[in-house]
Amino acid sequence: MTLNLPPVTITGIGSVSPYGPQAGLIQHGLLEPSVVTAWTSDGERRAFLVPQFRPATVVPGLKTRRLDRLSAWALVASSLALKDAGIDLNLVDRSRVAVVFATVFGCVELTEAFYLSAAANGWNGTDPITFPETLASAPASHVSMFHGLRGPNVTVSNKYFGGESAILQAACLLRQGQADIAIVLAGDALSRSLYSWYEEAGLLSPACFSSQPVSEAGGFIPGEGVAAVVLEPSDSINLRPNSRSYARIGAGRWVAGGQAVEIIRKMLGASMPSLTICSGNGAPCAVSPTTTLARELMGDEVPIIPPHVFAQGLAGSGALFHLIMALASHRVSGPALFLGTARNNGFAALVLELP
Amino acid sequence: MTDTHKTIVVTGVGVVSPYGIGLDRLEAGMLSGTCCLERTKDDVYPGFEGTTAPVRGLPPQASSHRYSRTDQLAVMAAQDAMESSGRDSSAFREGGILMASTLGGLTEIDAGIAKDPAAWYRRSGGLSRAVSYPFAHVADSVGEHFGICGPRCAVSVACASGAMAIALAASMLLDGAAPMFLAGGSDPLCAFTLSGFNSLQALDPNPCCPFDQNRKGVNLGEGSAVLVLETLAGATARNANVLAVLRGWAMTNDAFHSTAPQKEGTGLADCIRLAMEMAEVSTDEIGYVNAHGTGTPLNDSAEANAYETAFRGRKRPIPVSSTKSYFGHCLGAAGALEAAITIMAARSGALLPTLRLTNPIESPGIDWLRGEVKRQPLPLVMSASSGFGGSNTVLIFESSLS
Repeated sequence: MTLNLPPVTITGIGSVSPYGPQAGLIQHGLLEPSVVTAWTSDGERRAFLVPQFRPATVVPGLKTRRLDRLSAWALVASSLALKDAGIDLNLVDRSRVAVVFATVFGCVELTEAFYLSAAANGWNGTDPITFPETLASAPASHVSMFHGLRGPNVTVSNKYFGGESAILQAACLLRQGQADIAIVLAGDALSRSLYSWYEEAGLLSPACFSSQPVSEAGGFIPGEGVAAVVLEPSDSINLRPNSRSYARIGAGRWVAGGQAVEIIRKMLGASMPSLTICSGNGAPCAVSPTTTLARELMGDEVPIIPPHVFAQGLAGSGALFHLIMALASHRVSGPALFLGTARNNGFAALVLELP
Repeated sequence: MTDTHKTIVVTGVGVVSPYGIGLDRLEAGMLSGTCCLERTKDDVYPGFEGTTAPVRGLPPQASSHRYSRTDQLAVMAAQDAMESSGRDSSAFREGGILMASTLGGLTEIDAGIAKDPAAWYRRSGGLSRAVSYPFAHVADSVGEHFGICGPRCAVSVACASGAMAIALAASMLLDGAAPMFLAGGSDPLCAFTLSGFNSLQALDPNPCCPFDQNRKGVNLGEGSAVLVLETLAGATARNANVLAVLRGWAMTNDAFHSTAPQKEGTGLADCIRLAMEMAEVSTDEIGYVNAHGTGTPLNDSAEANAYETAFRGRKRPIPVSSTKSYFGHCLGAAGALEAAITIMAARSGALLPTLRLTNPIESPGIDWLRGEVKRQPLPLVMSASSGFGGSNTVLIFESSLS
């Protein structure tokens, strides 16, 4: 089944990443993983970490002291995306604004803190303030509360295509008339237990343990951050002053299996993208199955932007970062394919029109 | 004239509840007024004393070391849903899956992970137990177990999760994302949530009394429910048995507080109004509301206010009950289980009472159902769900094709 439905447009971008909080396309240069200092370990551990910052210095009035970092970043990223989109919420019916958030691990830091309180005090002595902040949906809820958004508020998770599924589900809400604007967010935060999991499972790149240059082919470097995009129906953005378009999203598929090449070719029909932007899900960039699939689909003629090494470290919630970093580094116009695959675990493909 | 491509129908209902596996067991138990809430001591965690509704006697073939209890419940409910639709899993290969859970694989994790994660993973089975931790795994379990390859994801919106998975699946069907969806929710009893609700002082140590003026809190239960959703065109093409029509749905947010509902119930009232607009039904046409009705002081009064607002002007008070009085609050599964109960109520024409409701909240516009089961035709029924973070979801079902 092919989705050729009324398109939606990305009109605003905000993010909190190892590059810091930014509105619009991430201005990025070479990024080296930082040394993890949030917990002690035997030897150095490295990751693409969000530098410490005070959210209230970026978004005046923001109070995040009791929140998981993921919630705080979602608040900052959503605020920056709305600002970038030029949307004045005072002029918008806030009951018509949806929030769709994708995460793989949710609020892991406060989940760990809750477990620590259970370990220290027993299950009958846990912290009531922490408990609701452990919910995976807490970041999206805070975004609605802070901005006063009363439309659908959804948190979704897919281990491989969380970001893509969030975009497609938000687009669905817009097309089905359940909202006029959607803020789509995707991201995760690193915690000690999550990093240990990757390490114990043997998934990490040697670069996680050394400052010396190493081949990335042996694993991935974990990352953290939240990206946000504002989506609006394409036919309505011209009605709004100061609106802009980063990309128009037309057809889209996201499935857990099936013949990717056959299905994507059918979806593309006669149109041939002039660029393929690859997403990823933790696999090292050099051996990314997405790049392989892109070559199989498009041959060697069409430029391929490989998965970004930082966004690779976000597993299934890195798609928005892959997209906005590719848009920043390759200023081209025309049709493009945004592609992600996890070999036997399916694929996601979105047909974009870049202005 | 009905647009069969724009009409969403339910062609299968699968349930795992404290009554057992299957909608028929749930129906028999609830219509006979059986309450599954029981006193629990040191059961879920040492030191816990209270009232819960566990699912007992799960068939051993459903167990697998890779599956958390959340996953097991979901897989069994999905199996039951597919059997209920009269088809085996091969018919669902292109189908989508939207499964809700608030807990995911937290049942597999313990406090030791936070103290020394590396040692915890090295312990026997730590790494494989952690695989089910991301809540996406509940959808993956169903998909992988039955070889279903369409769009797949998990939904987590606190206690509105199960209903929202159904609403999102319906929207995606209209978008043409898949020919059919398995949509529902699953959540087990778990030390993490029992401890959390206990810390918030939200648990009633005794069987809960939703909507009673003397209500003291919630009881937790466990279970899973999955609906088979498809367009009427798809169902008709396969000559499928239509169990109900999903006439309308809506999702809103209170944008108010992390745990407390907005006092006047404005967000839920708006959600009800939007769902009725979509269903193109009037307030007088809704025959029954299966309420969220947790039994907490704040939720139930806000919810009563929402019904007073949303059904204002109705000729007769709106019949409302909370079926959480039968087997507690199943969190991410609650909205899906209550959707199944609402469909069952509509099909059997049974107005289910709230158990132990003796002194209801004063609400002149609401007919608080209590005492015996009342029988009457129920062509249009509603299920309402709310959750932490202010999320609301309302589903409106029609018991037969009009």
